[in-house]
Amino acid sequence: MNNIMRSEPANPAAANGSSALLAVSGLSKSYASFGAGSAAKQVLRNVGFRIDPQETVGIVGLSGAGKSTIGRIIAGLERADGGEIVYGGTSIGRLRGAARRRATLGIEMIFQDPYESLSARMRIGEIVAEPLVIRQTRRGDRAGLDRAVRSALAKVSLDPDRYASRYPHELSGGERQRVGLARAFVAEPRLVIADEPTSMLDSSLRLELLELMDRLRRDSGTATLFITHDLALTYRFCDRLLVLNEGEIVESGTPAQVIDHPTHPFTIRLIQALREFHG
Amino acid sequence: MRSNRAGAMGLVGLFMLAAMLLFTLLGPALIPYDPAERSGSPLAAPGNGHLLGTNDIGQDILAELATGARVSLTIGLVGALASMLIGVAIGVLAGYRGGWADTLLMRLVDVSLTLPFLPLMIVIGVFLGPSMSTQILVIAILMWAKVARELRSQILSVRTRGPVQAARAMGAGDLYILRRHILPMTVPLMIPQFIQAVTASILMESSLSFLGLGDPLAKSWGSILFYANARSAFLTDAWIWWVVPPGLCIVWTVLGCSFVGYWLEERVSPRLQSYTALGKITPKKTAGRPASAARTGGESAALRIDGLSVRYPKAGGEAVAALRDIDLAVHPAEIVGIVGESGSGKTTMASAIMQMLKPPAARTGSIRLGGDELTALSDRELRAARGRRIALIPQAAMNALNPVWTVRKQLTEAIRCHRKLSRADTQARIEQLLGQVGIEPRYLAAYPHELSGGMRQRVVIAMALVNEPSFVIADEPTTGLDVLVQVEIIALLKKLQQELGLSMIFISHDLPVVKRIADRIVILDRGSVVDEGTPGHLSVHSGHPYTRKLMDAIPSIGGRQMRQEVQL
Amino acid sequence: MNNGTRRLFAGGRPLLLRAGRKLAQYVLVIFVALTLNFALPRLAPGDSLSFAIGEALAQEMTPEQRAQAMKEVGLDGSLLAQYGKFLKGALTLDLGHSTKFGEPVAEVLADRLPWTLRIVLPSLILSASIAVGLGAYAAWNRGRKRDLFLLAGVLTLESMPGFWLGMILIAVFGVKLGWFPTYGAAPLFSTGGWSYAVAVMQRMVLPVSTITLVSLGSYFLLTRSAMLDSLGQDYMMMAEAKGLGTRKRMWHALRNALLPVYTHMTMSLSLLVSGAVVVETVFSYPGVGSLLYESVLARDYPLMQGVFLLITLAVIAGNLLADLTYPLVDPRVRIRKPLEGSR
Repeated sequence: MNNIMRSEPANPAAANGSSALLAVSGLSKSYASFGAGSAAKQVLRNVGFRIDPQETVGIVGLSGAGKSTIGRIIAGLERADGGEIVYGGTSIGRLRGAARRRATLGIEMIFQDPYESLSARMRIGEIVAEPLVIRQTRRGDRAGLDRAVRSALAKVSLDPDRYASRYPHELSGGERQRVGLARAFVAEPRLVIADEPTSMLDSSLRLELLELMDRLRRDSGTATLFITHDLALTYRFCDRLLVLNEGEIVESGTPAQVIDHPTHPFTIRLIQALREFHG
Repeated sequence: MRSNRAGAMGLVGLFMLAAMLLFTLLGPALIPYDPAERSGSPLAAPGNGHLLGTNDIGQDILAELATGARVSLTIGLVGALASMLIGVAIGVLAGYRGGWADTLLMRLVDVSLTLPFLPLMIVIGVFLGPSMSTQILVIAILMWAKVARELRSQILSVRTRGPVQAARAMGAGDLYILRRHILPMTVPLMIPQFIQAVTASILMESSLSFLGLGDPLAKSWGSILFYANARSAFLTDAWIWWVVPPGLCIVWTVLGCSFVGYWLEERVSPRLQSYTALGKITPKKTAGRPASAARTGGESAALRIDGLSVRYPKAGGEAVAALRDIDLAVHPAEIVGIVGESGSGKTTMASAIMQMLKPPAARTGSIRLGGDELTALSDRELRAARGRRIALIPQAAMNALNPVWTVRKQLTEAIRCHRKLSRADTQARIEQLLGQVGIEPRYLAAYPHELSGGMRQRVVIAMALVNEPSFVIADEPTTGLDVLVQVEIIALLKKLQQELGLSMIFISHDLPVVKRIADRIVILDRGSVVDEGTPGHLSVHSGHPYTRKLMDAIPSIGGRQMRQEVQL
Repeated sequence: MNNGTRRLFAGGRPLLLRAGRKLAQYVLVIFVALTLNFALPRLAPGDSLSFAIGEALAQEMTPEQRAQAMKEVGLDGSLLAQYGKFLKGALTLDLGHSTKFGEPVAEVLADRLPWTLRIVLPSLILSASIAVGLGAYAAWNRGRKRDLFLLAGVLTLESMPGFWLGMILIAVFGVKLGWFPTYGAAPLFSTGGWSYAVAVMQRMVLPVSTITLVSLGSYFLLTRSAMLDSLGQDYMMMAEAKGLGTRKRMWHALRNALLPVYTHMTMSLSLLVSGAVVVETVFSYPGVGSLLYESVLARDYPLMQGVFLLITLAVIAGNLLADLTYPLVDPRVRIRKPLEGSR
């Protein structure tokens, strides 16, 4: 398998290099399955990769390949069965509570569903302020908080005067996802995990939103983990690409490398299918 | 309209409860008798100053009812409140903490819910001695379990929702999430639960008191009935004023609560949004619109739509137009792709052609299938046409199969409702068709949950084609499938269309997919056709800004190889 | 490994696990019910011996007699020893002596149980079938006037206390119109044969109607809401697109809606039995329910506890029945060999 993983170090331990912003090694996870026939389903097997500062890494796979699980484990929404996650030099995989909150400062997440990832009971301004409130970075500084929220909204082209006091149901799907972006970038993150941020949006809005995300991350020097089922999108927005099949990384490299010279049978099939539609 | 009716029910309920509350508060002051005193002759009929007559020892029944109301309502409210408090505390603990606390508490809930309620109350009531506080205690310790279970399941579902996940990803602590997200999302859902608890408490109290376990010093409605029963009131005419009124008081109060509860539940239930009522859409007169063959081409069309509009009336007299004045012709053996984004009206179009729009949709215009006006067909004729002449492969085909029946049964049923075939012929037809869609015959015995998404989609396609229709509408047939399966399904549809000479409307939000399969593409935007042409023409020559926008939104996977392919 | 076991294991461990958990729950419920029976007379204010053999008898005894009696009913020795003895007794159906009837509690219960089943089972079948029909009809006509009328009517029925409805039925149909006897379950002087059977049936009509009417509500509401759920499912659209007629489509929806209704029906035995307690009392019907009332009036504690235990067992039997037969109505929980292996 090592010959396939071209740009990854053969030894996962070497992924803990000091220059990496995030280094994941040996990640594994299985779910107990309640369907008839199977005992436990292994969703991740020995997944390892690294993200350097300001780099955008894409993870591509079919549904059920485990790509969202990787993002959720890094964000602390799920626990891995094994493996290590090192962020900014600290191993965060086993941390909980306040210790984790301190160690993961600078990791933010963008969710797939713009309709239900924003609380229906909170105003847009409160939603965008939430990361600052939770991380207590501007404790007692109401004016500073306000300024940060207004500037975050302005950066995603939502007029703070018009939008800050509205509720999510008054916004369109595209606008809501931009609120999601503002929320992710308000706390000046170092790493943003974008879990299928555009798959629920109409295709005419997709590129617009991704371009906006790209601009935000360039402006703030943020690294991104871009999780998507759409290989075609990675071509334009990723520095590096990982192909995930049944919980294993089967191929990695720059998008051009992977798309033009796929080596793993799965990637070859995937790219053939893609060419059916985009060729 | 529907919510208005539920709202009316809620209003009636509120009125009933308010009236009962007034009676409870003011009754004892207005009625000139002490319910505990003999104030008339025994079993006096209503009249003579005793509006509702007297009981067997001459006590005024109306006065008894008014003081009884206090007892019944107090026990009902306090009992429900106490059980709510216990239930909410335990539900939150179990639902939010999870782990062993959850396991332990939920086993406790299971046990409490399995124990027979009333007999247990009776047994405990007997041992603790009859009194109001016993009753409240017993109600509280027996009714918390249902509340706890309900709240826990709400919390579990809320825990996986977006806002909570987002807050957790930001590193929020348990208390923050509970206070800021989970409780505000779940506690409103507990209000109908509270109302149910009140009604259950009132009914339980009356049963207990009726069995003689009420507080002897505080006669409730149930206790009045206990005495009436003990004195066999129903054997004489006295039942009319001695038995009926206390029962009516209970019914009045409980019913008022139920109405209010039903209304509140309708308000929080997401089910409201779907239209399920049946009814025939009555088309508005098409105002003598000429069936203009000239507008859409020759007479040879397999399907011709003229001036189709669909509106959904909104409260306040306005209407939302889902489709505006659509003209479209599909020629025999042609695949017309309809591309539109959310809200473009593309699924409304499929339902309108199938004559499956649900009220309150209002449709105008003409839809002709091979020369027959579909909008003029009777229900029976429509049923005969659906599946036989024009078939639908519905959106979200993953769930288009009935989960409780085998593939064989559902395919057989589809054949049987149109044709009388012998068993052997039916079987042969089904196997032939499954072969065509690439499913092995052994899967006939499978239930839908035993098939993968792609296989289910194939079965749905088989079901649509089983009666050899000449026209097929495929509504987002590849949505929700992986790109590898999408390719297979598209290839299958294309193959079947060519083999069987089908005319087809292929609806999708996914322009690349439609470009792949359609002979002609129609672009739908906010209910109107904005552009039309062959895939090649649209991708290169279309000048319409919306089409351009859609085309530009297709990400290119550039690269050397790709460009070579394009040149070839 | 024989075929049967292999199939069980092929079906996956979770199913067995779930069955085991259910079973453990039922054992736990019985245990809790028994423990309550043991603890209540000992915790409640008052004389434990009076609870066991009746107040009148207990008060007349000399201290020696008392000690002897305490020993006989298991009130001597340490609490733990008492508890062990009690559990052993319960397992061998030794539920003590009824002070009212002067017979072993188990025998009194065995006499009364058939009568209760005779009114509870018909009520269960009647109310479920009527309510399912009405509920499906109401859901199909959702939002129309007839739906609303049915809903209001059923809510009204549901808000009636069973005993009150029973009293009204007696007053109207028993006393005023004289159509049905109002008392008991069988004529006092039984002669057997047809006339006896008819007399028994006549006496069943009013109690069965009462229980049926007051239990309609929950089945109706459940059917209606389950039916509304399945009417909104995608397979209903497919059914319509196939060209199925109204009745067939209704069956598509109802077949799915029946799953929760079926579970509720078997699980709601406890509700029905509770209803039977008060209704039997009103009709002086000699079943287990009125036995509970009689034992309460006579403060016959052993009998009362026996009735409670019996009802608990009946409820658990209902639950067990639901668990065991559920796979018959829902193919998704059936244990089957994976299809790949067949043929």
